[in-house]
Amino acid sequence: MISQGSEIRAKDGRAPDVFSRDGWVAMRQYREAEEVDVAVIGTGAGGGVVAAKLAEAGLSVVAFDAGAFYRPLADFASDEREQDKLYWTDDRISGGDDAIEMGSNNSGRAIGGSTVHFQMVALRFRPEWFQARSRLGYGRDWPVDWREMWRCYDEVEDALKIAGPVTYPWGPKRGRYPYRQHELNASAQVLARGAEAMGVDWSPCPISTVSAPRGKSPPCVYRGFCKIGCSTNAKQSILNTYIPRALAAGAEVRDLAMVGRIETGSDGRATGVHYHRDGEWRFQKARRVVVAGYSIETPRLLLNSSSPSHPQGLANAEGLVGTELMVHSNHAVWGVMEDEIRWYKGPPSMAVCEHWNYDDDKDFHGGYAFMSQGPLPTDFATSMVKNLGVFGMELRRRMALYNHMAGLKIVGEVMPTPANRVELSEETDALGLPLPRITFRFGENDRKLSDHALRFMRTMHEAAGARDIFETAGSAHLMGGCRMGFSAADGVVDGAGRAFSCPNLWIADGSVMPTGGGVNPSITIMANATRIAGHMIGAIARGEG
Amino acid sequence: MTSPPRRYPDYDVLDKRDSPSWDDITRHVVAGRLNPPERQFFDDALWDVLIALCDTIMPQPDRDRPIAIWIDAALAQNRTTGTRYDNLPPMREAWKRGLAALEAEARLCHGRPFHDLAQDAREALLKAIDREEVAAPEWNDLPPRRMFREVLANEIVRVYYSHPDAWSEIGFGGPASPRGYVRLGPNRRDPWEAEESAATRRSAEP
Amino acid sequence: MTSFAPPRERSPLAGAATALALAGLVGAGLWAARRPQPRPQPGSALPVETARQPAARRARQGGMLLAASAAIDGATEHYRGGFHRWEMYLGPAASIGALAASAMQAAMPRPLREGLLLTAAGVGLAGHAFHARNILDRPGGVCWSNLFYAAPIGAPGSVALAGLAGLAATMLERREPEMPHRRGRWIAIGTVAGLLGTTAEVALLHFRGAYHNPAMYIPVTLPPIAALTLGAAAARPSPTRLRLAHRMLGATAMMGLVGTAFHAWGVHRNMGGWRNWQQNLLVAPPLPAPPGFTGVALVGLAAIDLLEASE
Ligand SMILES: Cc1cc2nc3c(=O)[nH]c(=O)nc-3n(C[C@H](O)[C@H](O)[C@H](O)COP(=O)(O)OP(=O)(O)OC[C@H]3O[C@@H](n4cnc5c(N)ncnc54)[C@H](O)[C@@H]3O)c2cc1C
Ligand code: SF4
Repeated sequence: MISQGSEIRAKDGRAPDVFSRDGWVAMRQYREAEEVDVAVIGTGAGGGVVAAKLAEAGLSVVAFDAGAFYRPLADFASDEREQDKLYWTDDRISGGDDAIEMGSNNSGRAIGGSTVHFQMVALRFRPEWFQARSRLGYGRDWPVDWREMWRCYDEVEDALKIAGPVTYPWGPKRGRYPYRQHELNASAQVLARGAEAMGVDWSPCPISTVSAPRGKSPPCVYRGFCKIGCSTNAKQSILNTYIPRALAAGAEVRDLAMVGRIETGSDGRATGVHYHRDGEWRFQKARRVVVAGYSIETPRLLLNSSSPSHPQGLANAEGLVGTELMVHSNHAVWGVMEDEIRWYKGPPSMAVCEHWNYDDDKDFHGGYAFMSQGPLPTDFATSMVKNLGVFGMELRRRMALYNHMAGLKIVGEVMPTPANRVELSEETDALGLPLPRITFRFGENDRKLSDHALRFMRTMHEAAGARDIFETAGSAHLMGGCRMGFSAADGVVDGAGRAFSCPNLWIADGSVMPTGGGVNPSITIMANATRIAGHMIGAIARGEG
Repeated sequence: MTSPPRRYPDYDVLDKRDSPSWDDITRHVVAGRLNPPERQFFDDALWDVLIALCDTIMPQPDRDRPIAIWIDAALAQNRTTGTRYDNLPPMREAWKRGLAALEAEARLCHGRPFHDLAQDAREALLKAIDREEVAAPEWNDLPPRRMFREVLANEIVRVYYSHPDAWSEIGFGGPASPRGYVRLGPNRRDPWEAEESAATRRSAEP
Repeated sequence: MTSFAPPRERSPLAGAATALALAGLVGAGLWAARRPQPRPQPGSALPVETARQPAARRARQGGMLLAASAAIDGATEHYRGGFHRWEMYLGPAASIGALAASAMQAAMPRPLREGLLLTAAGVGLAGHAFHARNILDRPGGVCWSNLFYAAPIGAPGSVALAGLAGLAATMLERREPEMPHRRGRWIAIGTVAGLLGTTAEVALLHFRGAYHNPAMYIPVTLPPIAALTLGAAAARPSPTRLRLAHRMLGATAMMGLVGTAFHAWGVHRNMGGWRNWQQNLLVAPPLPAPPGFTGVALVGLAAIDLLEASE
C-alpha cells in the first residue's frame, strides 16, 4: 500500500484510479515503433491540459512524465518531510546575485506536475498585461489576443470548478466562478481587516479546491496541507481533472519516464523522444512533440537535443532558449496577533488583495498581488532561519507563537531580463544528462516593486493589529525561458506555441510566458495550453501540422 | 539559556493517532519517524561536531529527540533538496566540509573541539559564522552564511519540526486527514485541536 | 512500531442505509403523530367544529416538526459556533420549549404553553437581530462571504415559525365562534410567508453549494409554487384551487422528508463519510433542516382544512 514513488504504475493497459486507494482505470497503450500523433513531455499545468485536449480531439497521444503516478487518498501523508517526494529534488546549479531556490520552492515532479502541490490560487492576468510593452510600457507583448485568453480562462476555471467570490473587485467583468467562495479562515480575516482599515479592496481568493462535492471529489476539509499534496482530492489539480480526462479519451501516460532527448531528422523535424524508464533508455516515435517540462527542464531538454540540423540545441537557432527566465518576487511581512489565528487551518491563501495590479499610480513597472498565509511548521521555521538567521532557543520560542502568527506575501512581477537564464553545465546527473545551470538576479525595478510591497503590507499588517513585524524575501514560481514571440528573432515559439525553427515541435508550459504578471501563473499556463491545443488541433485538421 | 516554551502543556498530537485525524500512510510515516535508523554516513569525528551543532541550533534541555541521525540517514540516501548553489559543493560534500570548517573554527578560536564548548560559546561562534566572520582556512571558498543557513541550520530545523513532539510544542494540529477542521475563525478551536494554556494565551511571550 | 488500524473504508451502502434509516425515522414519527381523519367530501362541507380539530392537530404537528428541526439544527450550528455567547443557548432552548408546548397539548396548562410559544416567536425574531449583528461585525459586513458563512440571517425564522404554528394550533383548539375561513386565511398568509422565507434561506445555502446536484433546485422551486397555490386558494377559495394547494403542500411536506435523506447522502459524500461525523455533521448539509419544510407545509394543510370547511 505504501508508495515510495518509485514504482511504475501506468502499464499493462491500466493506470491508477486517482480517486481510489488502490484501484485502476483502463489505459490505452501504444507501441514504441508505432508513430503516435503526439508525444507530450510533462504532465503538469501545461502538458496535462494539452494531452487531454489532443486526445479528446481524437489524436493518439503518449504523455511522459519523470514523476510518479500517485493516488492521493493512499499515498499523500500529512507530513512535510515525507511529501518531499512530490518535488523535483535532483541537483540544479543555481547562481547569480539572487540565486533562486529550486526544489519545493517551484518545481514538482509527478503526474500532474507542480499542480499536485500548488497552493491553488487561481487569478487571471490583468488584460493589459498581454500587451505590457505597448500599453503599459514595460516587458513584452504577448503574440496573443487577451480576449482569446479570457475565453480559455473560462474553460479552465470550469474544468477545475474554481471556487471563487460571487463578485470580483478588480478587472473586467467576468462570469461567475463555477463554485462559491470558501469560508475565510482567521488568517484571511486579518488581511480583510487590514485592507478595510487602509481603504483598499480585498477579496476571497479564487482557489482550485471545491467548496461542495464534485463527482468523486469531496469538498475541502480545511486540513491545510495543500502545499504538500491534498489527500482529500478536494484540490482540483491536473492529476485529478485533466489526467483522468486524457486517459478516458485514449491517451497513454507513462510515469517515471524521463525524456532525455528529442530526436530530429535531417529535415530538422522532430521524429520522436528518447526516454529513460525502468532502468533503460527507450525511444518512442512520434509525428509531433509537445514540450511542457516547465521553465528549467524545457530549456534543458531542448539544449540537450542538439543535432546536425539544430546544432545549438533544438529550436535554438536564435539563441533564445533558456533566456529571460522569470520568477515572482515573494517577499512577505509577518507579525504576531493577539488573537489565535491557527493558520494551519484551510488552504494557505484564502484572501487576496490585487490593488497594486490594477492601480497604476506607482513608481515601478508591473504589479503585485498579496495573499494571506498559512505555512506549515518546517516551512515557516526554515524561512525564519534563512531570512533572519535565528536559531537556538530563540527560534523555539518564536515558533511557539505559531498559532498567533499572520502574514502577507506578495506575488510580484519580475521584469524579463536576458541575463536571467538557464544553460547546461558541464556536470551530469545519474542518467548522464547535463545539469541545468540557472543564473538569476533581481533588477532595479524588481527591487522597487518589492520595497513598495513591503512598505504597503507592513502598514496594512499593523493596521490589522500585528505586532513584532518582520520581513522575509524570496521568490516563487518560474516563468519564461522559451518565450512566445512575434517572429523568430523575438521568440522561441509563435503565438500558437509552435517552434519557429522546428515545425512539428510545440511548447505549452510556463516557459513560453513572455512576461510573468503579478499573479500566480498556473491558471494562465493552463488557459494558454488550452489555446495552444486548440490551434494545434486546427492546424492538424488543415493538414498544416 | 532561556527556558523552552510551554504554551500547550496538555497537548500531545500523538493522542490523535487513532482518531480520524490520521490516516494509514501518516501513521506509517510517523511511526517510522519515531524509530531512528543506524548511523551510516558520518565518521566519529564529524558525528561529534554534528551532535553538538544540533544541540546548539535546536537545544532540547527538556527532552532529547534525535536529529543528527536523520541527517545521517538523508545523506546516506543522497537525498537532495533540488538546489545546489553554485558556490556550494554537492550535498554530501557540503555537509562534510561545513562541519569540518566549523570544527576548525572552534579549535582556532577556542583551542577546543566544538562539542567541548559551552552552549554560549557555540552560539557565539555560529553567529560569527553567520556574519561571515571566519578565520579557519578550511572555509576556503565556502560562503559561511549560506553554508550555515541554507545547509546546516536549514536541515537541522527541518528535522526538528518534523517530530510530533515539536508539533505539540507549537500547538500545531498535526496530521489531519480524513478529518480536517470545522472552526476556522479567530480564537475558535475544534475539540481535537490544542488548547493554549490560559497563562500564555494573552501574551506574546512564549 | 505503532499498530496499524484496520483499513476503514467508507462504504456507499452504509451511507445509503443510514440515510434510509433516518428518513424512515422521521417518516414514522410523522405517521404516529397523525390519526386517520374524515376527509371532507366535495359538496358536503363539514361543520366548522369538526374541521377545526383536524386543522388544530395538523398545525400542532407542523409546529412540533418545526420546533424539533429548529432545536436540532440550532443546537448543532451553535455548537459549531462554540456557544461562545450565552445568547446562543436561547434559540435551541426556545425551540425545545415550543416543542414541549406543542407536544404536551393536554398535559400542560394553556398559559404556560402559550407563554412558551410566544417566547419562541420572540426569540426567533430577536435571533435575526443577533445574526445580523454577527454579519456586520465581520470584515466585509453585508457581503456574500458573510451571508454564506456568518450566522445565517434566515435561520432564526424557523424558531419563530415553530412558535407561531403552535400558537395557531392553540387558537384553533379554543371553541370560539368565529369565521373559520378568516382564520384559515390568516394561517395561509403565515404559511405563505414561512414557505417563502424558508425558500430564501435554502436558495442562499444551495447557491453556496453551487447547486452541484440538480436535485438542489427542488426545494427552491416546489415550495414557492406551493405558496402560490395556497395564496390563490386563500384569496379566492374554490374546490379546484383548494385541491391544487392541498397537493402542492403535500408534495412539499414529502420533499422535506426526502430532503433529509439527500442530506444524509451529502454527509456520506464528505471526506471520511460517517466515520468523520464530528466534522461532517457540522459541515455537510444539515440533516435536521429539510423537515422544516414539512412543518410549514403541515400548517398550510391546516389552513386548507379550515378553508375547505367554510367553502
Ligand atoms: C509550492 C508551490 C505552490 C504553488 N502555488 C501556486 C498557486 O497557488 N497558484 C498558481 O497559479 N501556481 C502556483 N504554483 C506554480 C504552478 O504550480 C506552476 O506554475 C505550474 O504548475 C507550472 O506548470 P508547467 O506545466 O509549466 O510545469 P509543471 O506543472 O511543473 O509540470 C512539469 C512536469 O514535467 C515533468 N518533466 C519535466 N521535464 C521532464 C522530462 N525531461 N521528461 C519527463 N517529464 C519531465 C515534471 O516531472 C513535471 O511533472 C505553485 C508552485 C509551487 C512549487
Ligand atoms: S485544505 Fe482543502 S485543498 Fe488543502 S489539502 Fe486540505 S482538503 Fe485539500
